Order: sequence, then structure tokens, then C-alpha cells
Amino acid sequence: MSKEDSMDPIRLWREWFVKSEKSWSDALSEMMGDEHFSKGMGRYTLEALHTHRMFSETMAQYLANLNIPSRSDILDMNDRLAHMEETLNQIQVELREQRSQMARLAAGTATAATGGSATVRPARTRKPAANLDA
Amino acid sequence: MTASARAELTSEDIEASVRRTLERAISRNIPGLAPLPQTESDLDVGPTPKEMVYSNETARLYHYLPTQDEIYRVPVLIVMSPVAKGYILDLAKGQSLIEYLVMQGHDVYMLEWAAPRRDQSHLSLENYVSDLLSGCIDAVLRDSGEADITLVGYCMGGMLSCMYAALHPDGPVRNLACFTTPVNGDGMELYKRWMTAKAFDIDRLVKELGNIPGDFINNSLQALRPLQRSANQMKLLNNVENDAFVKAHLRFDRWAVDQLPVPGELARALVKDFIIDNKFVHNALTLRGERVDLGRIKVPFLHVAAQHDHIVPAAASQDLLPLIGAQDKHEIVMKGGHVSLVAGGNAVFRLWPQLDRWLSVRDI
Repeated sequence: MSKEDSMDPIRLWREWFVKSEKSWSDALSEMMGDEHFSKGMGRYTLEALHTHRMFSETMAQYLANLNIPSRSDILDMNDRLAHMEETLNQIQVELREQRSQMARLAAGTATAATGGSATVRPARTRKPAANLDA
Repeated sequence: MTASARAELTSEDIEASVRRTLERAISRNIPGLAPLPQTESDLDVGPTPKEMVYSNETARLYHYLPTQDEIYRVPVLIVMSPVAKGYILDLAKGQSLIEYLVMQGHDVYMLEWAAPRRDQSHLSLENYVSDLLSGCIDAVLRDSGEADITLVGYCMGGMLSCMYAALHPDGPVRNLACFTTPVNGDGMELYKRWMTAKAFDIDRLVKELGNIPGDFINNSLQALRPLQRSANQMKLLNNVENDAFVKAHLRFDRWAVDQLPVPGELARALVKDFIIDNKFVHNALTLRGERVDLGRIKVPFLHVAAQHDHIVPAAASQDLLPLIGAQDKHEIVMKGGHVSLVAGGNAVFRLWPQLDRWLSVRDI
């Protein structure tokens, strides 16, 4: 850090903030752990849920009238994409299995030593360095 | 500056001073801003080569390709927390626990969790332990051709691993290591206060939302240290000239806000059984009618806690070791926080070699 930097008041303030952050955070967390705050949090969460539902229903109707997809439509699409991704995953896993079987056949062995990988696995015989204790 | 010095300032001096200030600001900021990613994909995470081995519901099992000619016999399965993405353990080359373990000759698998779809909100703690984790363990055994396995659980992944090991004392778990694993709900003080307050209603939350959104989880985690993120931004500004710092910071920051949604049923179990009723510590947790007794875990056990962990404080994790029934059990408390313990700049000198040493004499 140059001398000019060390005198930069904004930088000094940032450094003070970083150093004192934990104390401020602890104080805030303590405040949030207060019984009244905890109750308020719970109430706020439930009210937010209620408002969210009301707003979503109204908005969904409004968006449908405008022929625009709602969040629910987007989530439907997300679910369909996730289904497709899962199917692709299954295919990927299956292909890996097939490749492995072919590799084993090519190597003339039917053991499971190569696992599911198409490449031959290293020997599982490694030992720890002699100077290691448990 | 004295009045006479001020009087001597010419317009050239002022111009030169302004130019110097501007040049300094530009030279300081341009190198720092250059590595800022334009899109998420510019931040390359998860660089260690891997293959998907198994996929079921929200479980994704990957095998990391060995790089050594000879590997340890027992495969290692890393179990991630259901609320966190796995790339924190494989952030970048040289900043990756996975890469380190692979280079030390371990056969590494990782169980990562995908975001649940809306029709997966029914997935419960029982499903996560007895179906998904269990399915992954079977897949690792099949894939490796071995009969036993080492489990390494991170945070709530440690809880899941402990539950599995307790329910299957006769195998196939050979060793069990956990990092920053909460076991005592009373130790999660802020959450306990919020969730035992009369106005909090997890059933209503699950009914309305189905899955608990990632943002909700993220906000809850940030409440534990509300100003930490702002402080981290300040640190970023103070180190904007340091490219390595900026990149590492951005990767961490991306992960920190990239929380996974949690299936509603799983969230309900975590809130009621773990936080409110604290069943783990009271030895009262049952899954599919079978009691989860950690005293039945007799395999070698290691727990690593972080000294400055504000997410899983000592009060939440220190009861784990006494509850485990194994003779060969150890707890290590290391410098660092919940995340820096496993992925911070000093992890390569602290946690990683310790874990490697512990595993290497047991994975044979």
C-alpha cells in the first residue's frame, strides 16, 4: 500500500468497517434474537406469504389477459427442463456403463476392476508414506 | 497547507495534481476490474475432470478421474450439504480440496444435490438418507468394485453421513469424517429463537411454498452475520489491484449466494426434529421406524470444526464426538470459518493435508 493510499480517508473507513464488522454483526444478530423481534419475524413471514399469494393470483390473471407467461408458467417450463435434464443424466450414466463394458470386453476381462469408466483404472494398491501414523 | 503555499499554486500545478490523481485511480482500478467476469460462465468453477456415475431425484453422483498410477483401495465419497452447491470444494485449480485429494492418490466421488423440482417437495429426511445417499453408496461400491467406503460429509452432508452410518453399523462404511457438522439444535441459537417463537409456522411455509427457496436459505444464513457480506465488499475494494484476490473473492461470493432450495418435507424435518426438538442429541431421531443412535457408529471417526464458524458454532457441533461410539475418534479445531476451513487460501496448509494423512492410513 502506498503512502497516498494509507492516507485515503475512504480506504481508512473501509478498513475500520472490516475490522469492526464482527462486533456490529454480533450486536445485530443479538437484536434479531430478541423475543419481540423473533415473533415479529414469524408474523412478517406469514404476512409476506399471504401477500405473495394474493399478488400472484391477481398478477396471474392480469398476465393471462395480456397473453404473457406468469411465474408459474416459467416454473412449469423449468420443471419440464429439469425432467429432460434428468433423462439426459440417465442416458449419460447408461452410456458410461456401456462404454465401460466395451472397454472390458476389448481388454478381454469381465471383472469389475475398471468400474464404470471407459478407461482402465489405476491399481488400488497405494500405501501411505511409512512415516505417517494414524 | 499554509496560506502562502496555497497562493503559490498555479493552474499547471492543479492540473498536474488532478492528472496524477486520475492516473492513479485508473491504474489502480483497471487491473482490478479486468478480471471481473462479464457473465457467470466466465467464472470457471469445478475444473477437476469428472464423470456422472448415478443420478436419482435430486442426487447427482460424480467420480473424479484419477491422475495417479496407483490409488488407495477404499473409495472416498464426499457428501455435500443439501443447501449448498458442491463446487465450493472444487473452486479452481489450486483452490480445490477435490483436486488435492485426487493428486494424493485417493479415489474420490462426490454426492451433490440438485435443486428440487416442485413435484419433489415431498422428498424427506428419510428419502435423503435411506434412498438417495444409500443409492449413491451402492453406486460407488459397484463402480469401484470395492466392498467398503469412506464417507466425508460437509456441514449437513455430515449429518446425513452420520445418520447413514448409524443405521448401517455392519457396513459398508469403513471410515467417517465430518467437517463443521451441526448436531445440537440448541447450539443454533438464533434459529432456535426464531423457530420456537409462536408466530413461526413451518407447516404453513411448506404448504404455501412447497420447496423452501434458496433466497430464503441465503437470507437466513446472512442473518447470522448481517454485515459480513458488506465487509467482504470493502475488502474487495481495498484489494482491487490484486487479481488473484479479486478472482478468489468473486468465486466465493458467487457460491455464498448460490444456495439450493430445500424440499419442503426435508425442511420440515430439519426445523422440527433438529432445531426445535433437538432429537439428534437426545437420541430420539427415528428414520422409517429405526432409531438413529450415533453410539452405534464404531468405525474410525474424525470431526473437523472451524474456530470462527458463525454458521455452525462450537455449541452446535461439539456434542458430536461424545455421541459417536467409536474408539478411534478425533476432533480437530482449526483456524478459519465455515467455508474458509475447506476452501480458503490456508486450507491447503491446514485441513487438506490433515485429511489426507487421516485417510491415507485408513483407506488401505
